[in-house]
Amino acid sequence: MKSWKSLQALFVSLVMVIVVTACGGNAGSTPADSSTAEGGANSGSASGEVKITLLNSKGEIQTQLEDAAKAFKEDYPTITLEIVPVPAGQSPFEKASALYAANSPSTITMLDTGDVEKFKDRILDLSGEKWMSDKVDGSTDLTTFDGKNYAFPLSIEGYGFIYNKAVLDKAVSGSFDPATITTTQALEDLFKKIEASGTGALIVSPMDWSLAAHYLPLAYAGQSADKAVVNQFITDLKGGSVDLSTNKVFNGLMDTFDIMKEHNIDKASPLAGTYEKGPEVLGKGEVGIWFQGNWAWPQISSFDTASGAYGFLPVPISNNPDDFGNTQISAAVSKRLVLDKEKSTPEQQAAAKTFLEWMVYKEKGQDFLINKANIVPAFKNITLEPQDPLAKSIGAYISGGKIEESMSALPADHWSKVGASMQKYLAGAADRATLAKEIQEYWTTVK
Amino acid sequence: MISEKGLWSRLRLRLLFTGPTLFAFATVMIVPFLYGIYLTFTNWDGISTTSTMVGFENYAYVLKDAVFWKSFYLTLKYVIISVALVNVVAFLLAYFLSSGLKGQSFFRAGFFIPNLVGGIVLGFVWQFIFSNVLVSIGQKTGIAVFGTSWLADPDKAFFALIIVTVWQYAGYMMVIYVAGLMNVPKDIMEAASIDGATAFRKLRTMILPLMVPSFIVCVFLSLQRTFMVYDLNLTLTKGGPFKSTEMVSMHVYEKAFLSRDYGVGQAEALVLFLLVAGITLLQVYFSKKLEVEA
Repeated sequence: MKSWKSLQALFVSLVMVIVVTACGGNAGSTPADSSTAEGGANSGSASGEVKITLLNSKGEIQTQLEDAAKAFKEDYPTITLEIVPVPAGQSPFEKASALYAANSPSTITMLDTGDVEKFKDRILDLSGEKWMSDKVDGSTDLTTFDGKNYAFPLSIEGYGFIYNKAVLDKAVSGSFDPATITTTQALEDLFKKIEASGTGALIVSPMDWSLAAHYLPLAYAGQSADKAVVNQFITDLKGGSVDLSTNKVFNGLMDTFDIMKEHNIDKASPLAGTYEKGPEVLGKGEVGIWFQGNWAWPQISSFDTASGAYGFLPVPISNNPDDFGNTQISAAVSKRLVLDKEKSTPEQQAAAKTFLEWMVYKEKGQDFLINKANIVPAFKNITLEPQDPLAKSIGAYISGGKIEESMSALPADHWSKVGASMQKYLAGAADRATLAKEIQEYWTTVK
Repeated sequence: MISEKGLWSRLRLRLLFTGPTLFAFATVMIVPFLYGIYLTFTNWDGISTTSTMVGFENYAYVLKDAVFWKSFYLTLKYVIISVALVNVVAFLLAYFLSSGLKGQSFFRAGFFIPNLVGGIVLGFVWQFIFSNVLVSIGQKTGIAVFGTSWLADPDKAFFALIIVTVWQYAGYMMVIYVAGLMNVPKDIMEAASIDGATAFRKLRTMILPLMVPSFIVCVFLSLQRTFMVYDLNLTLTKGGPFKSTEMVSMHVYEKAFLSRDYGVGQAEALVLFLLVAGITLLQVYFSKKLEVEA
């Protein structure tokens, strides 16, 4: 019996040893400088060959990126670029933080704008890069901290009402001019005309991210063309001093939403719709309008019956065509590339920087961005014209100065929590006062 | 003989056999668990290189987090209804498929198969059934209850979850009940038949008491599985419509990974662990007392 007790003691101490060593090992590997040295040992830098990885969170361009890696290797034979996809349904933040926790981050990580700040201790300062002088104005504002820019702006994405021109031409009996829709009233008339022509007016997709990361933020961004005012509005929301129920822009936007609900082809069961249904009914011409962004083009094009004639309409918030937001569509840099500084060797970092420059300045790189991946680039030096109609439409709004900055740095759980409130409103399970109250309550809990 | 050898050689022998498993268990279960407990006292966000110790702040937040308790209450409701239904259905299936029905092995296999399908796949398949197949049947035949998608209505979505859960687990529990039924001594049943007991009488006073061990196992398994439901919840309803079917596991996950509040998420996970461990231990403890000797 006595020896059994000592065995137990031994067992406990064994567990303690494991715990202590495991924790110690974890703590020891955090300093950035010591780990770069050990990272150097396992990459074959001696032969001049460099292998880098890119974590891709834009699933729709996975094959295009893989082709780009091949084209890049033709230009730079010593650099091998491997594209690692983020599994479907996982967020880039989740995957990237898991990789960091496992001490094996990818050299280049594609993040959403709002996530960059969280990684700033672990990623490279890119302020000194050549492309900084050619980037679109303001495209790195949200990834600049303490005067240093930490991310490469990969793509501009925009959203609004996507229209099928074939359906709208029939509805207005002539060639539809998107510039005529600048007020809520004009939009409602258009819905009625489409319905009169025997087609569904629009489909409202009920995904929480669409309602709360795209639609509702129009109420924040639409407060003013001046970004400082918008930022102050967000600060006031957090402080709880905003009364949304009397806010003109919010009410205007929700008035438009009421009209959308009224003419929604899924009106009978508004929450039953799926994302996949949107591009199908729009592409087939069963509805004229869908609230969504240019990333939906690959899906729309597979159902296209309007020979590629699509474009964006702004979401009006009042009946005064001069109000801010009535002629603008929402667009912003959505995906960013950041370079790891903890585990990558100087050679790998240099190679990754070369890849970024290759996309902006080399013919093959630009060809990949614009022609292959249908990306609206955030660089002024690129003169290639995008091929897809939605990217073209965004390009037209950008060059016309008709852009309202998307709220791409909202709190991480905004789309999910406020999305639930928006869904309630869409389904008629809550009125506008409840919605306003829930949104305000959400903001006061944001840290 | 082991007992004749010295302490060291006995330890060596034990380590030889249990060492590898012990090591694996410690590294993948014990250490992460302890590290997790450590994280509940920090305000780590999941990525930053630094975090501060915040003491019991996270636990205080858990107590105040109304959404956590709401989803816990919802989960409790879901657990009670589905554990009851799973076990009743499983027992009835086992009873009828052990009574010498023609082709009973085929039926047993059929009812067991849903359990072989992973929760994720199963969720997607049923999502299609609820939002497409049933809706189109409803619209063609005019049956109002199927006219709109069940997953778009809070109450119906909750019952959709229960239906799929019962469908998934009943077959598995049935197998355990079949084994239990086989273990009911034949001589007792025979004696009962000779004494002229009816089938219901035999079921109530002989079969059910003798099968208490099977019930303990099945209720334990279904309790634990339904409490921790996540995969089905995620793929069938995604917690929707408007978060009305968000079970507690999903809430914990979202707290940690979506709201980037690792400390609070971990604290909620620990609270959940303690609650579920407590409930299942109580269940086993009290139902053990119902066991009888044949």
